[in-house]
Amino acid sequence: MSFSSTALLARKSIRARLGRTISIALMMTAGVSFVVGSFVLADSLRATFTGLFDELVSEVDLEVRAAEVFDGDSNRDPIDATIADGLQGIEGIEIIEPSLARFAQLLDQDGDVVATTGGPALGFSYIGEGGLQGVTLKDGRAPSGADEVVVDKASADRVGYSVGDTVNYLTDTGTHSATLVGTIGAADSDGFLGASVVAVDIPTAIEKFGSGGKVDAIDIGLADGADATAVQTAIENVLPPRTEVVTGEVLAAEGQSEVDGFISVFGTGLLIFAFITTFIVAFIINNIFQITIGQRLRELALLRAVGASAKQVRRMIVAEAFVLGLIATALGILGGIGVSRFIVWAFNQAGAGFPDTSTVLEPRTFVAAAVVGIGVTMLSVFVPARRASTIPPVAAMRPELGFDALKKQQLIIGAVVTAVGSLLLIIGLFVQPGSAALWATVAGLGALTLFLGVASVSSTIAPPVTRAIGWPIAKLFKVPGVLARDNVVRAPRRTSSSASALMIGVALVSASAVFASSLRATITDVLDNAITADYIVTDPNFFGLSPAVAEGLDALPELDAVTPIRQASGQVDGESKSIGAINPDAFDKLVDPDLQDGAIAGLGPNEVLIHSDPANDLDKQVGDTIDIVWQSGAQSTLTVAGIYGDATFGNWLISLDTLDAVSDAPARDLFIIAKLADGVTAAEGDAAVAAATAEFPQANVQTNAEFRKSQEDQINQLLLTITILLLMSIIIAVLGIAITLALGVFERTREIGLLRAVGMNRRQLRRSVRWEAVIVSSFGAVVGIVLGTFLGVIASLAVPDDVISKLAFNPVIIVVVMVFAVVAGLAASLYPSFKASNMDVLEAIATE
Amino acid sequence: MLPGAMFGRLFAMTAAMPSPAPASTAPTAAAGAVNASKIYGTGDAEVKALDDVTVSFETGKFTAIMGPSGSGKSTLLHCLAGLDTLTSGATYIGDKYLAKLSDKDLTELRRTDIGFVFQAFNLIPTLTAEENIKLPMMLGGETGDTAWIDQVVTAVKLQGRLQHRPSELSGGQQQRVAVARALASRPKIIFADEPTGNLDSETGAEILDFMRRAVREFGQTIVMVTHDPGAASYADRVVFVGDGKIVGELNNPTADQIIDQMKQHGS
Repeated sequence: MSFSSTALLARKSIRARLGRTISIALMMTAGVSFVVGSFVLADSLRATFTGLFDELVSEVDLEVRAAEVFDGDSNRDPIDATIADGLQGIEGIEIIEPSLARFAQLLDQDGDVVATTGGPALGFSYIGEGGLQGVTLKDGRAPSGADEVVVDKASADRVGYSVGDTVNYLTDTGTHSATLVGTIGAADSDGFLGASVVAVDIPTAIEKFGSGGKVDAIDIGLADGADATAVQTAIENVLPPRTEVVTGEVLAAEGQSEVDGFISVFGTGLLIFAFITTFIVAFIINNIFQITIGQRLRELALLRAVGASAKQVRRMIVAEAFVLGLIATALGILGGIGVSRFIVWAFNQAGAGFPDTSTVLEPRTFVAAAVVGIGVTMLSVFVPARRASTIPPVAAMRPELGFDALKKQQLIIGAVVTAVGSLLLIIGLFVQPGSAALWATVAGLGALTLFLGVASVSSTIAPPVTRAIGWPIAKLFKVPGVLARDNVVRAPRRTSSSASALMIGVALVSASAVFASSLRATITDVLDNAITADYIVTDPNFFGLSPAVAEGLDALPELDAVTPIRQASGQVDGESKSIGAINPDAFDKLVDPDLQDGAIAGLGPNEVLIHSDPANDLDKQVGDTIDIVWQSGAQSTLTVAGIYGDATFGNWLISLDTLDAVSDAPARDLFIIAKLADGVTAAEGDAAVAAATAEFPQANVQTNAEFRKSQEDQINQLLLTITILLLMSIIIAVLGIAITLALGVFERTREIGLLRAVGMNRRQLRRSVRWEAVIVSSFGAVVGIVLGTFLGVIASLAVPDDVISKLAFNPVIIVVVMVFAVVAGLAASLYPSFKASNMDVLEAIATE
Repeated sequence: MLPGAMFGRLFAMTAAMPSPAPASTAPTAAAGAVNASKIYGTGDAEVKALDDVTVSFETGKFTAIMGPSGSGKSTLLHCLAGLDTLTSGATYIGDKYLAKLSDKDLTELRRTDIGFVFQAFNLIPTLTAEENIKLPMMLGGETGDTAWIDQVVTAVKLQGRLQHRPSELSGGQQQRVAVARALASRPKIIFADEPTGNLDSETGAEILDFMRRAVREFGQTIVMVTHDPGAASYADRVVFVGDGKIVGELNNPTADQIIDQMKQHGS
């Protein structure tokens, strides 16, 4: 019908308000970039890791490995290396390659540990070129015999080893010396994703890594033309019980799903922050359109008067938004590629060792960009466009009638939205319906709805709160201060909507801060009360510590009690449970797990301690028995010897002896806790412990205080990461305040001219605009802190007690946020105050 | 095609025919009000802006509505033009009673049958003079009668200014663009609200003279609200409004006659 006139008006309007158009498009671009970046990064990493993994297993046709009795959460048990002998002579097999990977620490020329760049210190078996592993020989040749070794090229280059050098490495069986005969890398790369690697031939690996005659798996390469199914059947016939043979495709699929799991956690995390940014951008765009529609009131009314229909006016506004969204989408896709590259770079700077990734642009990414870019922009102008269409034509002559049409009571709607949001949030966090993804979505939606509601309600509380915030400013800065305060107070709606974006950012930071503080307080509480250990020994390599470490510590007269904590999977009533194994007598002295019934000390070989939750679920009392199936296939009937209430060490505890009797897995200690004997000073203890662990550089010994500090550091790191990811949103929020303020200054041109005409100087005017910004941003911060604290408290309450059992608040963060808000306000006022003070007085007064 | 647009075309065709001399036309009403009342506010704050007004405006005539500020003259104009609604009574344009029209039909009416000239802020600031002139037609998805528009543009001496934005035009030029826009779609009636209120007397006289020519030469119907006796003296007829009522009228008046009449009504 009249699409062309709508398009013309929209185009003209965009061109005439180019500055505003560009700033909106750029903000939207930031949001889209973040979203696209998250997708591109996740897709690129997935493609890279999948490619890498495929290459690693691409030569493997079949693999023999331990069969799992049930889906456990620990690694598969190793199998006897002799199984390989039984496979000799099966027709169709060309290569039989047992593989073994264990802890092995490369040492440098001085005998010190070679630090990795993010990965573990790894040792594995290597049979050289022509083998089935996706390992590439970079230099020299493959190792053969106990005296030869190859290492990853990246580590060799870093330390300065070259082929022919004598190299020392450390394993569970001690320090070994060998000749470096070559260097290797994963596929095309020089390293193994940041790990340090020592590789030896298979017999040497079995001996030096201390596997006890076992290997992790046996890979099989088929001869050309061999029938895989026939070979698989032939192998199955000779395999001992509790072993299985699977195809390369199964391995690749399992690897793929592991990669997917990791990537989707990572990608989802980024996406959450991307959506937060977009949400805040949507708020600001909505606000800007709302204001400019107020400013264009007469123009819109005039259009109506000369014959534009309400629909045409609405369509014109929507068309403007559509063009903006389109620009933002296009730019956002480019920006997103940049963002993904930047994140890879930043993580690599931090030592993550991501491989070189190609940029993968899935069609889904474009769809997401368009949905966010165009969809969110359109959604943001939905209400403003509707409002614009309600402006009556008579407002062309009597603007005051038009403003009446734009004003609508929103307190009730706001309150309802706030209530609905809170309800969803509480249902999501406390009732937790369905899967984790579902309740997280419900809770997330609740939080968003809550933000919308509070943003809407905040216009009602804006006048008293901003009056209070402005009071000292008005007292201190006289006329400019009073004007600043009055300008904020007289437009509560604008104040609340321009402060809303910052409010959301601050709320998220405050909520994270409360959550982190509570987490820290809980850990401190546990370390103060539940665990009386003086030393905590952990393993940064994730292989677990050799039992020799705990044995060495146990032998020390300076220590009163030492217990390792070992972990295994057991199946109870068809469900896989994580079961901890301890030295009960020592554990009793070291940990107070809030024992409710029974005893810890003297825990026998057929006894178990359980937490009150599973005790209640299974309806077990002390003295009752529980049947457990182990990954080795063994079955035990254990008697409940005690019930406890503190889940810091898990829900199920048995003695080390009990575990030894039923486990085929190599004994590895997750960590060790120990306590000084009476009368031994800390210095004496430290020296003794250091001496006992000197041979085990992988053992990370920390005193209680050091451990506490490292835990706190981790929490602070987490909080910092969250804050950095929220920073983009917060910067955009500050930008939003600046734009709103600039629009406000423009709107008050005549008033400002009048003030200047009656004698206000430029400085006073600048000051007035500046303090106006500070009051608005402080208002956003105050509401944000209150809301964020509320969110943080309910999130902390929703988390299980073994993670957070205490609420804590950090007043420092509140002060920092308030100071930041003032600074942000000052920054936001720079341009608008300059603009206001540089106005030509005569022109300003003449403005209609 | 929409009925409205079709109507517009038909109307444009009839209007394109040579106009008969206004004097020989039988007086027919182009617009009017019947028992029109408009009340703002309630209770003590109640204000009767229009109090049972009945008036009609002849086709092909230039009528001025005069009255002191607050007399209800602007409200009368807004209600006649369908910009505002009455509390009771009716207004009509041609044979259409405005109260019976939906917002959509009213919009259609404004676009095809009515032209507006306001005191100020007549033009869309982002559009050029030419686009502003053609705006009502464009909104209806039409191009308008190019020859006629050229004639109007020439008459208001805007030939060299068509590609300028309002901000690049003087106040008089802006008002001429507004008048050209009002004429461009050949509406049944043009409503002008203090069209010269913001102009100096010389520029104002030019605009008024042109409006009178539009009535005399093109047979256009114009209803103008003003408080300036000089402006009103360009009209064929002056209707006086006071306290929301019609308090008198003059035909073919001079400025002096108008001033006398105004004194009578105590303003």
